[in-house]
Amino acid sequence: MSSPTPTGGGVQSGPVRVVLVDDHRMFRTGVRAELTDAMAASGIPVCEFVGEAPDVDTAVQVIRAEQPDVVLLDVHLPGGNGNGGVDVIHGCFGVQARSGAPVRFLALSVSDAAEDVIAVIRAGARGYVTKTIGARDLITAIRRVADGDAVFSPRLAGFVLDAFGAAAGEIAEVDEELDRLSAREREVMRLIARGYQYKEVAKELFISVKTVETHVSSVLRKLQLSSRHELTAWAMGRRLL
Amino acid sequence: MPTPYEPAAHPRPVTDGGPDAGVAGSGLPVHPYELPPAQPSRPPLVRSRSRGWTPGVCGAVARHLGVSRRSVRWTFVLLTLAGGAGLAAYVFLWALTPEADVDADPTQAADPGAAPERRQWGLVLVVGAVLVVGGAVLLTPVLGGGVIGTVLVPLFTIAVGAIVAWSNLDDAQRSRWLGSGEGRYGWLRMALGVGLAMAGILVLVTRGESVSAVWDALLAAIAVLVGALIIAAPWALRLWGDLRREQVAAARATERADIAAHLHDSVLQTLALIQRQSHDSAAVTRLARAQERELRSWLYAGPQGSQSTLAAAVTEVAHDVEDLHGVAIDLVVTGDRPYEPHGAALAQAMREALLNAVRHGGTPVTAYVEIGPTGVEAFVRDRGDGFDLDSVPEDRLGVRQSILGRMERHGGAARVRRRDDGTEVELRLPPIEGGTS
Repeated sequence: MSSPTPTGGGVQSGPVRVVLVDDHRMFRTGVRAELTDAMAASGIPVCEFVGEAPDVDTAVQVIRAEQPDVVLLDVHLPGGNGNGGVDVIHGCFGVQARSGAPVRFLALSVSDAAEDVIAVIRAGARGYVTKTIGARDLITAIRRVADGDAVFSPRLAGFVLDAFGAAAGEIAEVDEELDRLSAREREVMRLIARGYQYKEVAKELFISVKTVETHVSSVLRKLQLSSRHELTAWAMGRRLL
Repeated sequence: MPTPYEPAAHPRPVTDGGPDAGVAGSGLPVHPYELPPAQPSRPPLVRSRSRGWTPGVCGAVARHLGVSRRSVRWTFVLLTLAGGAGLAAYVFLWALTPEADVDADPTQAADPGAAPERRQWGLVLVVGAVLVVGGAVLLTPVLGGGVIGTVLVPLFTIAVGAIVAWSNLDDAQRSRWLGSGEGRYGWLRMALGVGLAMAGILVLVTRGESVSAVWDALLAAIAVLVGALIIAAPWALRLWGDLRREQVAAARATERADIAAHLHDSVLQTLALIQRQSHDSAAVTRLARAQERELRSWLYAGPQGSQSTLAAAVTEVAHDVEDLHGVAIDLVVTGDRPYEPHGAALAQAMREALLNAVRHGGTPVTAYVEIGPTGVEAFVRDRGDGFDLDSVPEDRLGVRQSILGRMERHGGAARVRRRDDGTEVELRLPPIEGGTS
């Protein structure tokens, strides 16, 4: 854990208001307790839990009522149209947080299956972390998502490199190209896949953390908008197109 | 030719559990509980796809029964002479026996000319057509308007047509004939068969009268047929739908049973173990991690192959190290390539690097392997104080020999980097020479 200052991101007044959506009560309780302990230990109240929900329909209600900054969203949930977290994101389309920014979603999943992860990202989630993530890393991720940045786990970075053919050497000639990564984005993704924190990536590539965040956000945008066959096939598998 | 039904060996005078059953009479060591090798009871009744001019019925029967092909042929001939039963049986078997690729007998496979790609259907057809036409031409004047001329000839024509058309039935055969550039030929065969059969039916129905005489009857028959079809169609469709639904439900039930069985064998057992060892937190962690990994690979990875690819090999290496030390390793692999000696060296070097990381480094240990057209790159990273290459003599040997030296011997390179918070080992391999993988 190399970024012990969770407030290192953007400046935002007050704690981040968080809604926790997961169908396992034990998991919800555990995450709350862990994060509360971690924040108490560091003395910085980064986030505040304003609600939780066990299924798609409750989640949409709670989110519309509470207007949180960040939703921690399990990928697999009962209810809705059977698409779990994706249905929650669709159901909350256009809902804004009290700060005026859109509600942001951070996918939290035990699933390693590419189609699950890619589907929820393409539906609009700002990032994906596994449930085994440490409390302090999770706080950093929440903060980052609240600031509008993207959060990539090493595994998601690996998916991205595979899906965009970057591991096989496909590189975009112009940065705007949606179906391939630029050389710089590929470098950033490779370092994240190697387990580097954003700060370490910045140091390794001699760029600022802000630039790293820009690259990651750009990759997230490509992940959401690209019509590459690998990505659309995954989305098709979840009947999203 | 020995049949598969000969006893597997000489019957052994072995008494179950007898005191001296181990050396029953002969000098050879005899295993008292050895069963004859479990063989499939008999080869399935299938026709060989690839050889000969005949449909392969006799060969199929011979293989299935384990008798010689010649005796089967003679049996058919004799049965045919005895009132035509052999012919009927032959046609019946031909229609109902599926085709498959059968391992050729070694004696016949050795003959290069005797194994053409497929049967010479064209030749068979031409000969058959000539025979039919010739027979008809020869027989018609002789038999005149007799019963044979008006009944047997059309019946024969119908039979030939049906055989020609039905020989298309087999799915594999159909795709072979219609799918791969020979489509025209397949359709031609089908059209020829149907045409022959229709002509035969027409001749049989008219019995020498003019077509117009039976036209009304024909129309009526067709009308009845169409009407019956219309009435029956919804029923048939519904029945078909029910059947499909039942099949799907049955498949689901089977799958569910499989899943339940798997969960019982793996997850429930592990949970029981964890409850029993709840005081030992290290053991609990290790059990939970191993079970998670097993379940994950079962859920998401499909059937696990052996170490046939590099990605599978490095994944297995990481799992091994996890199991040995109970430390979680975050492994990400992109791309893949066949498993060969250089890749094996990389996997072994990576194993050493991972062992170093979990022994001397701190968590989390992350590993990333990128397998691409420009080569393989592997990174192993830990977050501890790191091990100093020069200050840890025994490790120096381990690292120098098993990581750096090994990679260099295989045309690759390795590098150990000390970072602010931990160590990173980089391994590189060039692409497979000449292989596009």
